[in-house]
Amino acid sequence: MNMQIIAQMVVSGALMGSVYALIAYGFQLTYATSKSINFGQGELVMLSAFFSLTLLNIGVPYWLMVPGGLLFGAALGLLVERAGVRLALQQKSEGWILLTIILGLLGFSSAENIWGRDDRPFPTPISSDALHVFGINITPLEISVAIGVFAIMGLVELFKRKTLLGKAFEAVSADRDAAELMGISATRTIMVSYGLSGMVAAMAGILISPITTVGPTMASALILKAFAVAVVAGLDSGFGVVLIGIVLGALESLTSFYVGSGWREAPGLVLLILALAVRPNGVFGKATIRKV
Amino acid sequence: MLKRLLLLRGAEIILLLALAAVPLLVNNTYALGLLTLLAIYGILLIGLDVTVGYLGQVNLAQAAFLGLGAYAAGLAVTTLGLGMLAALSISLLVGLLLGGLLAFPALRLDGPQFALATLSFSALSTTVLNEWESLTSGAQGLSLSRPTWLGLSMDAQGFYWLCLLMLAVVWMVMRNLLGSQWGRAFEALRDSPIATDAMGVGTFRHKVAGFALGSALGGLAGGLYAFNFQYLQPQSFTYDLMVILLLGVVLGGRKSLWGAFFGACLIVLLPNLLSNKFLFELISAAGLLLAVLAGVRAWLRKTAQPFQILAPIVAMALLVVGGLLVENTENWRKAIFALMLFSVVVGLPDGVMGYVAKLLTKLLRVPPAEIAATASLDSVLPVRQGDAAIQLELQNLQRHFGGVKAVDGISLTVRAGQVHGLIGPNGSGKSTAVNVISGLYAPSGGEIRLLGKRLPSGSLFKVAREGVSRTFQNLQLFGELTALDNVMVALKGVYRTPLPLVLLGFGRAEEQRAQAEAMALLELVGLKAQARMAAKDLTYGAQRFLEIARALARKPVLLILDEPAAGLAHPDVQVLIALIKAIHARCITVILIEHHMDVVSELCDVVTVLDGGKVIAAGVPDEVKRDPKVIKAYLGVVQEAVSPEAADGKEVPAC
Repeated sequence: MNMQIIAQMVVSGALMGSVYALIAYGFQLTYATSKSINFGQGELVMLSAFFSLTLLNIGVPYWLMVPGGLLFGAALGLLVERAGVRLALQQKSEGWILLTIILGLLGFSSAENIWGRDDRPFPTPISSDALHVFGINITPLEISVAIGVFAIMGLVELFKRKTLLGKAFEAVSADRDAAELMGISATRTIMVSYGLSGMVAAMAGILISPITTVGPTMASALILKAFAVAVVAGLDSGFGVVLIGIVLGALESLTSFYVGSGWREAPGLVLLILALAVRPNGVFGKATIRKV
Repeated sequence: MLKRLLLLRGAEIILLLALAAVPLLVNNTYALGLLTLLAIYGILLIGLDVTVGYLGQVNLAQAAFLGLGAYAAGLAVTTLGLGMLAALSISLLVGLLLGGLLAFPALRLDGPQFALATLSFSALSTTVLNEWESLTSGAQGLSLSRPTWLGLSMDAQGFYWLCLLMLAVVWMVMRNLLGSQWGRAFEALRDSPIATDAMGVGTFRHKVAGFALGSALGGLAGGLYAFNFQYLQPQSFTYDLMVILLLGVVLGGRKSLWGAFFGACLIVLLPNLLSNKFLFELISAAGLLLAVLAGVRAWLRKTAQPFQILAPIVAMALLVVGGLLVENTENWRKAIFALMLFSVVVGLPDGVMGYVAKLLTKLLRVPPAEIAATASLDSVLPVRQGDAAIQLELQNLQRHFGGVKAVDGISLTVRAGQVHGLIGPNGSGKSTAVNVISGLYAPSGGEIRLLGKRLPSGSLFKVAREGVSRTFQNLQLFGELTALDNVMVALKGVYRTPLPLVLLGFGRAEEQRAQAEAMALLELVGLKAQARMAAKDLTYGAQRFLEIARALARKPVLLILDEPAAGLAHPDVQVLIALIKAIHARCITVILIEHHMDVVSELCDVVTVLDGGKVIAAGVPDEVKRDPKVIKAYLGVVQEAVSPEAADGKEVPAC
């Protein structure tokens, strides 16, 4: 078979995969501090994309829209933490799974009614005219997605390493009880992690929208793959998500080319179930010791 | 007792008869359709409640099992030409097998990972149903006609009665199962998987069985669903339906057949309630009123946090205001579900039926279920022969965590009928040693022999089955179970009735015997009066004693008590000493890990002292206490200066 087509598939799939990795990275942020994740994260991606589109429509310039969208995502993240997660964590229950699903449903329904059920185009100043690199078509838009993904991940990592709040974040991730004894508020740190996670989700929404268009269901397939990436790599795997995201993205576009586009979602789902069966802590995750 | 039985069974029979009589009284195809759907969803939700309520896991695959069961039945009729009974059996089997298969990988997981596994499974099954067009006709949908039942063709009314009959059978079977050791085991593994294994109950088999069973009911409901609608489409069984099903179970009330039924009513009627604007406003106003009233009550009693009070009120207020602002409430269906679910999850964790059941029990003065008469302790824990033969032998036992040698070559011998003390400073490896013996950790090296036989390594469950039982330093009780159930679930040698007979209700006799034996153990530890209290509501001291009673229910060859006196008040320590003496008197071998020196010297026949993962002294307590190595390990330095009394030849108290 034609190597060039395969290479094309792999490259464009991998670019999509970097967005899965970004959303999965958002799961890692909250999992690190609280061992919980937002099951409605896909709705955060979608709502932030709609909000950013509205900003553009009312005349906000593109480069100002980006921070606006990110702030909106962070605010939603904080809301999810307050309404859906904090109480369950205090009660040491897993109620947050159900509550974040519920909040996602509320967000979905609101978007359907506020912005309508149709998919809308998302204007961008970045060109989508293909460039030819070694016989592979690649658009500046696609490149911008990859750059955006790594830029925001780099910024968050910088925040975690260089600021006092970020160090508190690392401390709570390493040992919540010890951190509390040192005077770090775990509740506040978990709040920050949800805010950051929301911001990362918003970034994913802004990056992917020009390619996929914006609609209430834009993130429902996306989020399943982000789950798959997070679990296959391991919820505490650090940058393992990037590698797994890129691999999954490539695998997916090959599957849809060779097996049929309807089967596009299958590799991620199968990988997720397999990973859970074989390595519940993920390929790059650390095994935990059971304690009594 | 009779009153309780009459009320509980009476309510069930009245409900069944009333439902069965409706088609005779009202001739309305629409109502008949709703009732049929009600029976189908009732079965589906009872199945979902097994995982969500009893196993305590968020299960997002039940809608998929409904779909798989429906397609299995549909294909069995269209391609194989089977009758209804055979097709329904196939639906049930498909649910059972696929549920069991999914449970295997999901076994090792809990919480979010389990939810994700089920979520992926349902997305995957939708993909397969959509894309395997040669079999399922994909998105076009599958049409079928209702087959005959044992040669009889069936009209809508007959089919409704069939569905109702199925619901009644499922109801009865599940009542038998969930009231038996199986139901207790499901709840036990939800509250503490580690203790479930350590008590020889087995997390593995019960989790798989529970999930497979719930999924089988999903498959059966799917088969009925197929014959009800006679047209199937993959997109009917997606995530949206799943959320509605969760709404039904949670709102109706977890761990309750009535709750599942109420949830089914709600799901069936909800579309009608939402399309009528007046009715919707009435319901949302009632919801707001309820949230406010419950909030005020909780606030006065200070039983809830501000968030638990305010959040449902805000959600319900949103519903009322939204209802007034929005033209077409149907469009906001999902948001309405979300707000209702949110209020219930936060404000009414037991669901509507849980609340109603509590209220009715109080109003009608329903007496609690009677407990069987207490058995004699001698029949439960017969006095053994204490021949001081070698019972447990550790040879050069090692356990390393990375570079940390927590246990670094321990050899010791425990003799039958003795209380063997295991002491040492913090971090000396005592707890790790018993964790290796009891199977929580596999040893890194060395050997453990019980009665000359090698103990299985690294499996709490297998070691428990060999007759080793233990308590935990950090309590591992089954919090939501009663004290009685905590002991009953661990009881050994009573539950012999095979599962099919339990389902048919033949497990009651052994249930009585189990109660009698468990009561004897509760009496031994002084908790007979608290038998009906939930373990999490007991005082700390009582919880420690309950763990000992539960460990004794294993009728152990070797009992390991891991710091039983930790955190106990002084009077409780005296009770504990008396209790361990009573256990000793029955010649049960005990390994006692303890910090309290007085407890150790009073109870132990032999003491082994550990430090740094190694044995530094062994012998009778008084000897060991004087050992300079032991004093050094505990106090850090050997006193260089000889005290004047010692120089005078008087004895220095060692501790």
